[in-house]
Amino acid sequence: MAHRLPHPLNAAAWFAAFVALYVLLDWASFILPLKHLNVTPWNPAPALGLLFVIRRGRPAVLALLTAILASDIFVRDIPGNLTITLWLGAILTAGYAAMAWLLKRYFPDGGLFGDRKGLLRWSAIVIFGSLANSLLFVTSLLATGLLPKADWGDAVVRFWVGDGVGIFVTMPLLWWLQDEPRRLLFRTILMRWETLAYSALTLLSLWIAFVPGAEANFRYFYVLFLPVVWAASRQGLAGAVFCVSTLQVGLLVAGLLQGSEEISLFELQMRASLLALVGFLIGMAVDEQRRAAAELRQSLRLAAAGEMAGALAHELNQPLTALSAYGSAGKQLLARGADADQLRDVIQRMIDEASRAADVVRRLRDFFRTGATRLERISLPELVAGATAAFRAKAQEAGIDFSIGAMPAAVLSADRLQLEVVLRNLLANAFEAVADTREVRASVALTAQVDHGGYLVIEVADNGPGVSTALAEQIFEPFASTKSSGLGLGLAISRAIAEAHGGSLTTEIGGGGRFRLKLPLDTRNKRDHG
Amino acid sequence: MDNTVFIIDDDASVRDALGLLLGLRGYRTSVFADAASFLGALRPDWHGCLIVDIRMAGMDGLTLQRELMARGCSIPAVIITGHGDVSSAREAFRAAAVDFLEKPLDETRLVQAIDEAYARQSATLANQRQKEAFLRRLAELTPREREVMHLVIAGHHNREIAEELGISVRTVEVHKARMMAKLEAESIPQLVRVSLGVGDDK
Repeated sequence: MAHRLPHPLNAAAWFAAFVALYVLLDWASFILPLKHLNVTPWNPAPALGLLFVIRRGRPAVLALLTAILASDIFVRDIPGNLTITLWLGAILTAGYAAMAWLLKRYFPDGGLFGDRKGLLRWSAIVIFGSLANSLLFVTSLLATGLLPKADWGDAVVRFWVGDGVGIFVTMPLLWWLQDEPRRLLFRTILMRWETLAYSALTLLSLWIAFVPGAEANFRYFYVLFLPVVWAASRQGLAGAVFCVSTLQVGLLVAGLLQGSEEISLFELQMRASLLALVGFLIGMAVDEQRRAAAELRQSLRLAAAGEMAGALAHELNQPLTALSAYGSAGKQLLARGADADQLRDVIQRMIDEASRAADVVRRLRDFFRTGATRLERISLPELVAGATAAFRAKAQEAGIDFSIGAMPAAVLSADRLQLEVVLRNLLANAFEAVADTREVRASVALTAQVDHGGYLVIEVADNGPGVSTALAEQIFEPFASTKSSGLGLGLAISRAIAEAHGGSLTTEIGGGGRFRLKLPLDTRNKRDHG
Repeated sequence: MDNTVFIIDDDASVRDALGLLLGLRGYRTSVFADAASFLGALRPDWHGCLIVDIRMAGMDGLTLQRELMARGCSIPAVIITGHGDVSSAREAFRAAAVDFLEKPLDETRLVQAIDEAYARQSATLANQRQKEAFLRRLAELTPREREVMHLVIAGHHNREIAEELGISVRTVEVHKARMMAKLEAESIPQLVRVSLGVGDDK
């Protein structure tokens, strides 16, 4: 809010704005009322009232009462006298306030559910709260004599459905729209071409469900699930809320235009609430799954950083050890009056070690700078040459046949540092696997080829004991390593890196280890990495 | 061969720097790039001190230490590591390491560890030498003298020994005196100590 009003004035402004909005919403949704009473097939205004009370607490209850009374006066030109109107308004307000209190108690984050379990509890509060409210209100109407006794049952059901569906469908939408950060997030999620596409599908489904004739309402209603499922599965709860709201309005308009005898608006509303429930459930499941994936990615990234830091600390220790030993040696030389040449030689070695240490530090800095995946164009042969250099010398020392196949001249859009970590990890594992090979000569082979799907497949194979079925399920799990050297996260991180690049890392069960790193060659499509 | 510091580390610079420093401080040094080349070159008369890095390509430091124990090699080892963790330290000490030092090394502690290793080595060597000498002397005893020795060590008096062997007390005394002279033992307790292989020359 750019201009903050002084507190009492601010509260009064909110009060007035709320009442105006409430009356407006009530006026817009005052369709097909039952005997000019506050009983309509779609009553979204209470959703606004609930949110307002949840947000602003007890003082807002008075505003709600004012809004309900104002609606009665302006929208429905009061059927009874003023006392009766006041009495009915007070009953409704008390019912909504109780619901708001329940919602706030179970959902501290503004009264909306945050997971699937919460969704069920939220639905229960809305449905049974509306039922209780309906019973109370309609019975009071009966007592005032505004409603014939015979209509009691019908009125209870109608009020229940109108309020229940109104709150059920509208409250999530209003929740998203109620303040700036949520509006921004809502807009970010929805500002996609895809939204336009499923909105078009919504219109098409509405046309299919209504235009061919009244009986189509029964026969083709299920088509309306398509856009809801699409929106919810792609954009989570936000998409579901948006699509369900659009459908709600569309259903009402279509139902009104058609004025069908065979299907009442109340029946339509029952279906709308079912649509909403399915949409919210799918949306919530999608959101939960995405949240879990993001959390896992984050913890893997932290683990990768820790792993990297550990490895680099070890590497940093080597030049430091040499450096301090050379320093002590220099002191000894000085003490015994050695000649300048000897000292110069030792100092030169110290300088070399210092620059080696600096190299390690640079790599550490590089990693933390690129802790988030930073894509650059790298050529495969260069990548492989960089990652395998250390292993060639190692292979010679250990008497292992290390062969590197012909590399296709492919270019990847990838994070060089991270892919090097993956390759080194796979090679280190392979070397370790063949360390105990006795009968035949140990061999490790690295090959690469481009498959038909436009993927680059890099394979690291060794003739060690290989991966057993039982092991294959575990090795990619974090912390499931049998090794004591602290590299237990290696494969889990490698797989996370591969997947962050839109690729995969798999192993083959059977004789000899065989790990396959698959990376997309063409990565023009954007990925979000935080 | 003199006491030598054997440096086994897969990092060339660390090897070179430690070799230079210890050389300047007057130690004989010998460097190896990995465990395998050290084991290949190892000779029984080598002694002194090992400085072994834990994390090495191929056989790691702790495995080398165990392998040396299995081969009956008694050179004491100083274990060095880039990242000291409790479990490897425990394992190192279980395999009788003299010390467990973290990289980068502290010169004073390194030298202390080497000197301690040398001291431990000479004690072991002296002990071994004494045992060998005793065995040599033992070989010079006659069967009867050896019988008498076993009974003396077992704590029997001359009379009991005489009864046991069916000879006179006087003869036992003669055998005993000769046995003591041949074994260069000054007293019964010293004899017992040396024969148990735990004797010291003080």
